[in-house]
Amino acid sequence: MAARWSSENVVVEFRDAQATAMSVDCLGSHAVLSGRRFLYMVNLEAPSEPPRKIGRQSKWDVGTVQWNPHKSESHVFAASSNQRVDLYSWREGCGEVHTSLQGHTRVISDLDWSWFEPEFLVTSSVDTYIYIWDTRDTRKPTVALSAVAGASQVKWNKRNQHLLASSHDGDVRIWDKRKPNTAVEYVAAHLSKIHGLDWHPDNEFILATSSQDNSVRFWDYRQPRKYLNILSCQVPVWKARYTPFSNGLVTVMVPQLRRENSLLLWSTLDLNSPVHAFVGHDDVVLEFRWRPQKEGSKDYQLVTWSRDQTLRIWRVDPQLQRLCVSDMVEDLMEDMSLNVETDKSLSSQEPESQHSTGPAAGNLQDLGTSLGSGLPQTLQQEFSLVNLQIRNVNVEMDAVNCSCVVSAHFGSHQVHLVVKFPAQYPNNAAPTFQFVSPTTIPSTMKTKIQKILTDTSLQKVKRNQNCLEPCVRQLVSCLESDMTQEDGPASGPFILSNPVTPALQAFPRVTNMYGSYQDANIPFPRTSGARFCGTGCLVYFMRPITMHRSVPPSEPTPRSLSALSAYHSGVLTPMKMRSESQSTLRLYSGSPTRSDKDTVSISSFYYKERKSRRFKTKREGTDYGNRSIKLAGKVIIQEISCLLPVHKALGESYILNVNDIQETCQKNAAAALTVGRRDVAKVWALASAATSQDLSPDPDPDTETPWARHPFGRHLLETLLDHYSHMSDVQTLAMLCSVFRTQAPPPDSYSLYGQQPSRSSMFPPHHSRYSSYCSSSVTSGSCSSTSESITATTWNTNPDINPWGESSPDDYRYGNSGYTDPREREREQHDMNKRLLDPANTLQFDDFKKCYGEILYRWGLREKRADVLKFASCPPEPHKGIEFGVYCCHCRSQARGTQCAVCKRLTFQCAICHVAVRGSSNFCLSCGHGGHTSHMMEWFRRQDECPAGCGCHCLMQSTF
Amino acid sequence: MVSVINTVDTSHEDMIHDAQMDYYGTRLATCSSDRTVKIFDVRNGGQILVADLRGHEGPVWQVAWAHPMFGNILASCSYDRKVIIWKEENGTWDKMYEYTGHESSVNSVCWGPYDFGLILACGSSDGAISLLTFTGDQQWDVKKISNAHTIGCNAVSWAPAVVPGSLIDQPSGQKPNYVKRFVSGGCDNLVKLWKEEDGQWKEDQKLEAHSDWVRDVGWAPSIGLPTSTIASCSQDGRVFIWTCDDPAGNTWTAKLLHKFNDVVWHVSWSITGNILAVSGGDNKVTLWKESMDGQWACISDVSKGQGAVSTITDTQQNEQ
Repeated sequence: MAARWSSENVVVEFRDAQATAMSVDCLGSHAVLSGRRFLYMVNLEAPSEPPRKIGRQSKWDVGTVQWNPHKSESHVFAASSNQRVDLYSWREGCGEVHTSLQGHTRVISDLDWSWFEPEFLVTSSVDTYIYIWDTRDTRKPTVALSAVAGASQVKWNKRNQHLLASSHDGDVRIWDKRKPNTAVEYVAAHLSKIHGLDWHPDNEFILATSSQDNSVRFWDYRQPRKYLNILSCQVPVWKARYTPFSNGLVTVMVPQLRRENSLLLWSTLDLNSPVHAFVGHDDVVLEFRWRPQKEGSKDYQLVTWSRDQTLRIWRVDPQLQRLCVSDMVEDLMEDMSLNVETDKSLSSQEPESQHSTGPAAGNLQDLGTSLGSGLPQTLQQEFSLVNLQIRNVNVEMDAVNCSCVVSAHFGSHQVHLVVKFPAQYPNNAAPTFQFVSPTTIPSTMKTKIQKILTDTSLQKVKRNQNCLEPCVRQLVSCLESDMTQEDGPASGPFILSNPVTPALQAFPRVTNMYGSYQDANIPFPRTSGARFCGTGCLVYFMRPITMHRSVPPSEPTPRSLSALSAYHSGVLTPMKMRSESQSTLRLYSGSPTRSDKDTVSISSFYYKERKSRRFKTKREGTDYGNRSIKLAGKVIIQEISCLLPVHKALGESYILNVNDIQETCQKNAAAALTVGRRDVAKVWALASAATSQDLSPDPDPDTETPWARHPFGRHLLETLLDHYSHMSDVQTLAMLCSVFRTQAPPPDSYSLYGQQPSRSSMFPPHHSRYSSYCSSSVTSGSCSSTSESITATTWNTNPDINPWGESSPDDYRYGNSGYTDPREREREQHDMNKRLLDPANTLQFDDFKKCYGEILYRWGLREKRADVLKFASCPPEPHKGIEFGVYCCHCRSQARGTQCAVCKRLTFQCAICHVAVRGSSNFCLSCGHGGHTSHMMEWFRRQDECPAGCGCHCLMQSTF
Repeated sequence: MVSVINTVDTSHEDMIHDAQMDYYGTRLATCSSDRTVKIFDVRNGGQILVADLRGHEGPVWQVAWAHPMFGNILASCSYDRKVIIWKEENGTWDKMYEYTGHESSVNSVCWGPYDFGLILACGSSDGAISLLTFTGDQQWDVKKISNAHTIGCNAVSWAPAVVPGSLIDQPSGQKPNYVKRFVSGGCDNLVKLWKEEDGQWKEDQKLEAHSDWVRDVGWAPSIGLPTSTIASCSQDGRVFIWTCDDPAGNTWTAKLLHKFNDVVWHVSWSITGNILAVSGGDNKVTLWKESMDGQWACISDVSKGQGAVSTITDTQQNEQ
């Protein structure tokens, strides 16, 4: 990396360009930058001159732009814009679209001019077709290759005029344009999406693919099963292209940190480390192209365009080119032994490369001496350029003494490391590493780290490269992984938010969350949604209005997540980059986000509207900050209760006074009026009329037809219920059912059911009988009980004891079978007939009440809920807690409830007053004695032994 | 009138995939591609971040609040194949349980009616549906319906516990014999109904009408009527309303609510089951209501990204 600060030749900033693509013409005189509003023509001879512009009217960014590589057509370039390719011609300082190629139905991901026929252009699209166009006949493509899968890249072979390659997610297909029906070869190249594809400039069988899976792979397509070689990176690789000189490869990484060097030059013969990094761009490099070599010049020039809105031209001098021809010939042989053909082809070009680098070899001596003389400075420069902004790590550099102290603390551990650089450094002389106090890590780890650091540094200095930064990063990742192991899974998922530098953390485990082939059956994520919540709220969220879909609105949203990878290829490149740098920006600013973030997120599918350029601030830094576009929209909570048929205000004001139905109806009618429910007010008026005392049915079945049988009786009520059912007005339904349920049957009807007239509907049953989560009244474990709840449990087995004014269908059934006396049956029938609510539907009416009760509960109106649920006849939940069995004190048979089923006597007596207990009672769980609650309380206030005299210390044994 | 009562800026760093309020409407849970779940206190128009739950390693697709009788419990599901059940204890939220039994993205979680205890249904892209039942003492019983939907399951929704039409088969006096039932939708374009019989989950019904992946299903809450209603929406842009009047639950009839121009992602029923909120790829929210004669009409349209639900008709409440 000796030349890293000297190779940059030209920097020109085009602040307003906002260009997404760039291309250099075959003469090396012009570069075109394609922005949304203009295409900028940069004269590479005088790049700082203001560029010429070609206006364009499109809401789409330019996906790919490429000059025709043939001298005869050097004035032509093609630019893709969504589904269309525009062919521009550039003559005498003016440019215009001379024709457009239209045929694709979805966004065009890539285009490439043929190397052999100047009129031929190939385009690939997400619409799964690859079209080859003859620019002399632009009406339709001359060849259509159907790939079934959308393509992200398409490239003509540089040696064979018929061949081309396309990439589809992780696959590469090789096509012969003469056989358009099917691909010639399939290469399952990567597990993740391929971002870049490049044919070898000299060998027609070899190509390089760069992928999301953090690797560049080299292939001979005739051997699709095994790659020739692999360049493993720690981050996804955006593009990898061969250099025009031999054995070189330039890669653009998808950087984890904005400032990281993403533009690297490699030797294909030694993929362990890059031979050069082009340092300078502050942001993602969007495009790089080689400027054709000038006559007589030994230098190559690399033209790069970055999101930092600068165009840079880098000189790659013969020395640098020579670095690509590494001295590791044995490596070369090893690589090539994989494949005889490749070997041949490469060895055939070997002399050529030797030849081209020949003059450079002559300069080697100069190079060496220049490096030698610059040594002290090198260390200083390394110190000043080193990027060691790592959390918890501090590096004190002392250039005078050629040493530095690295101090780091991780969790409870501290590390202090002195690094001493020899005078020869970095010329094959590694620094020494020594731990000093107060280092707290165990000695085994010290040894391990020392070895790693020595290895790392040796590797670097062998190539005259600086090693401080790699060493420190190694140290940190070492410590980091050890600490993680130490912490173990106990710290769980939060381990990842531990204080480490995001970049480093990203290195060991960048998860390619999206883009794997399995995503094909994962539904495309929702980015908007609406949900009714609580009782009267609608919660909804949407894609922010600044986020636009990258596809035309006419196109449906994709169904599967895998579409994501296809969608942001090619044309959407800049968008993807933008979102990436968005996230890296956040990382950089130290936000607590997890750093091994997806490089592709759902938001990649949507492109973010640019802030209007007018508001752009001058300074790029602040501009960047301002541009942080919100990816998450707001969540809006809307009150929609007015759309619902139920009203909280009514829930609050409705009353259920069982003792005065008339008043209840009138008050409720007034309440309904206040919320504007005139219909319900009228219903209450009707209810009032129907429950009038005048209409109360005669106990004698013979006197008259009960009101319920009148058209305005049960029939009217049923019609009303039906109506409100259709309206889903559960509030009105439940209230009506409750009111008409309370409509008290005449007193003598109790005689029919005998025993307990007191428990008529005038005294609604204890509400805790309804299974309730709020009061959790299932009194498990308590030995106190009321006879009422005991009756409740006996309800199903003993139809005689029916405490209800209304009866369930069971009663109905039992009633019919149980009373054989025709007179009784008639009365029973009459009892059914005189009810306004059809007893057959009782369960349904109960459901109304329960549902309404649920709504009241959500409203926080618990008392109102209890009021309503009193009228539910729903059988209680089976008792889940401890049940107390009672043995009849007379016949000793097991009894349920207060009356023995065998001897028909009341089952137990109070231990104090010796009177049968019907009401509330308490027992000792230990001795089983007990009695009336009031008696028990009184007794145990003074005593602690059982009143029965059994000697049990009841208070000690159980709680009363 | 319909009015916006709160606008919550979640500060999620990536797109939001679900937002849901708890039982009482006092807290809002949101989840996002930024892998977090956030809980906000939204009482009285406020927005206080109560918790920022981290634990998922991928985008979080959906959240679900459990009934408050079990405490403050929230379930979330993610692309990372995990379902996490979070619980608030003494004011701090922590993982209560993490379920990793799926082999692909978990797309939907839904808590069953409280009558069944704490039971969660999870639908995953591996085609399976898991039913997690809390058995007390930090134990969860897992039942898995493998291959519930070929290719993948996208949505699950429980039937209300108040089983309509239970009038006939209900044995007298016992606790109403609620059958556990839920509905699911998947990549096989089917809506499937499941019910538990003798502790085993069985496919009860298979409803066919959609021509593309079913993206969401919603079983309407019951108000005690003997009709079951289910809404389903799909990639094909169609929303169907399925109704069943048959107490045995065997005959379902489909009615097309509307054909949208883009995918419909989500359907949600109002508490009384008479309004359906529909949202989808067109970035719009529409509310639909069934008229007295059984026709579904759009009653409102949440305009793009901003503004309020503007009701088209405001008269329906004065129907006589």
